[in-house]
Amino acid sequence: MGDRQVAVVSAGFCEHASKRSDVNMAELVNEAVHNCLNNANCDIDAVDAIVAGNMPAFEGANLPELWMTDWLGARNKPLMRVTTGGSTGGSVAIAGYYNVAAGLPGIETVLTVAFEQQSCGNTSVGLSSVALGEISIVNALGLPAESAMRIFGAGAAIGIASYQAINYMNRSGCTEEDLARVVVQNRRNAAKNWWTHLKMPDYTIEQVMATPYISYPLRFGMVTPASDGACAMLYTTEEKAKDFADIPAYVNGVASVSHETAILGVGGAGAGQLDPCEQVGAVESAKLAYAQAGISFPEKEIDFAEVYSPFPNQELMWLERLGLFEENTAHLRYRDGTTAPNGELPVNCSGGVNSTNAIGASALERVAEAALQIMGKAGNQVPKTVHSAIGHGWGGCINLVTLTVLSDQPRRKWRAH
Amino acid sequence: MVRLEYIKKEYEKTRQMPGKWYLTSCRYKFNITRFQPFLSALKEKRLIGLKCRSCNTVSFPPKLVCGKCLTRPDQWVSLRETGIVATFTANYMKDETTGEANAFPVIAVRQDGADTTYLTQLNPKVKFEDVYVGMPVKIKWKDNTEGNLNDIDYYDCIDDPTQKMDSLTK
Repeated sequence: MGDRQVAVVSAGFCEHASKRSDVNMAELVNEAVHNCLNNANCDIDAVDAIVAGNMPAFEGANLPELWMTDWLGARNKPLMRVTTGGSTGGSVAIAGYYNVAAGLPGIETVLTVAFEQQSCGNTSVGLSSVALGEISIVNALGLPAESAMRIFGAGAAIGIASYQAINYMNRSGCTEEDLARVVVQNRRNAAKNWWTHLKMPDYTIEQVMATPYISYPLRFGMVTPASDGACAMLYTTEEKAKDFADIPAYVNGVASVSHETAILGVGGAGAGQLDPCEQVGAVESAKLAYAQAGISFPEKEIDFAEVYSPFPNQELMWLERLGLFEENTAHLRYRDGTTAPNGELPVNCSGGVNSTNAIGASALERVAEAALQIMGKAGNQVPKTVHSAIGHGWGGCINLVTLTVLSDQPRRKWRAH
Repeated sequence: MVRLEYIKKEYEKTRQMPGKWYLTSCRYKFNITRFQPFLSALKEKRLIGLKCRSCNTVSFPPKLVCGKCLTRPDQWVSLRETGIVATFTANYMKDETTGEANAFPVIAVRQDGADTTYLTQLNPKVKFEDVYVGMPVKIKWKDNTEGNLNDIDYYDCIDDPTQKMDSLTK
């Protein structure tokens, strides 16, 4: 941890949709940057450095931060890009945090931007380039390409979630209706938020259960969409924070932990875990981040959670691994309404990744929403006062977990200065 | 085709320029020589795994670096032909002649004596609804083995002794 206390003072989004045909990638990013700066009542001169991030392979546009410099507002300013797969946004948030916390001379306010315009390219091809290394190794070991594609094709992004869902359902005894209930809550929350993609105010569990399976036990109505969108967030130091916002959200803990992949694994890639929903990486990152923030009882001290859950079973899984609910009880909390916006621990009030998934931006949106809930400016603001919140990200080759802990109070100073 | 209704906004259409980036044209290097004992064992219809001397984890299929200890395991150990289903899912493939989507189970097997899982296919005659976590399975070899991964035809179901015990107690 750096010496400086860092605060989030503003966040901005652009409208998310499956095809933002009216803008190109640079203009899409610019919308979010403008929204962010307008919310903080400042202009680009206040920004000292910029961190950007996306997954270039998903759009087929290489090195975007270089050719959209002017749209990011990065002319004559330090700029760097971070890419870590699905958790790109979370890593961008952490990189932005450290840019401020490092205490470099002249760098106090940092703009973080994460974006993805999936309609430009083919995400499946981008993802398959991840699995292709594995498939080609199995192929070299003598398995015909056709059956290798059949076996590992089931292990792509959705396949990995269905393995987790099978094991989670086996472990906790939750049913498919429980998974549908999570989706319904997310999509209804999304309808109250201006920038989300799948707004479904009248979605019901019956409608979800009537859709066919995409990959057992996940149905068509449960899976995440592919969105175009961008998110921007403004960091600054504790001293400057009150100039930008009345209630800044202080960043009290950040952690990024990787762990072995759970499934795919012939060519030395992994397969160290037997149970795909074990997620040691999430447990470890939670330990690290909570220790930095001085949180001993996360289930009582955290008021709001934004977790990265493209598929409903992951939302249940992460909430348990991050220490917010007891093992195998998360689906019961959805039944009794604890996680609803007016409940005890509201979860994913923005609609979550389940309703909006611009891959690179998703994890940054989680941190941004958590910050906005503390600042009282979120699209779907919860009725209770939020004192501390978490924003979580997941991605890489299914094994990178990022976690950011935010609070309305600066970190308690344990060390004597 | 299922359609779900959601609040949609129409955006103005602008001109699009096509471009190409061949992501799948990458080449991957993989050293096959260190796998040779494993492949020769397959030819003799035997299964072997790699055991890490430091943490005693047995990996099947063999993993050339132990992630926990960051060492290179070099001790080959024999494994049994049976295993249990660690996790599973269904894959949907279109039949090219009829055009119907058929579901067939894909399973991750934990071989008895090993600590890691191997993604493979179950007997195609078994329905995926009947598969469960912890189901015992046994390897089915091809008649003519050639010393590669294709020698494992598929995994077949065997009687589950734990289910028999459940029925006895009832």
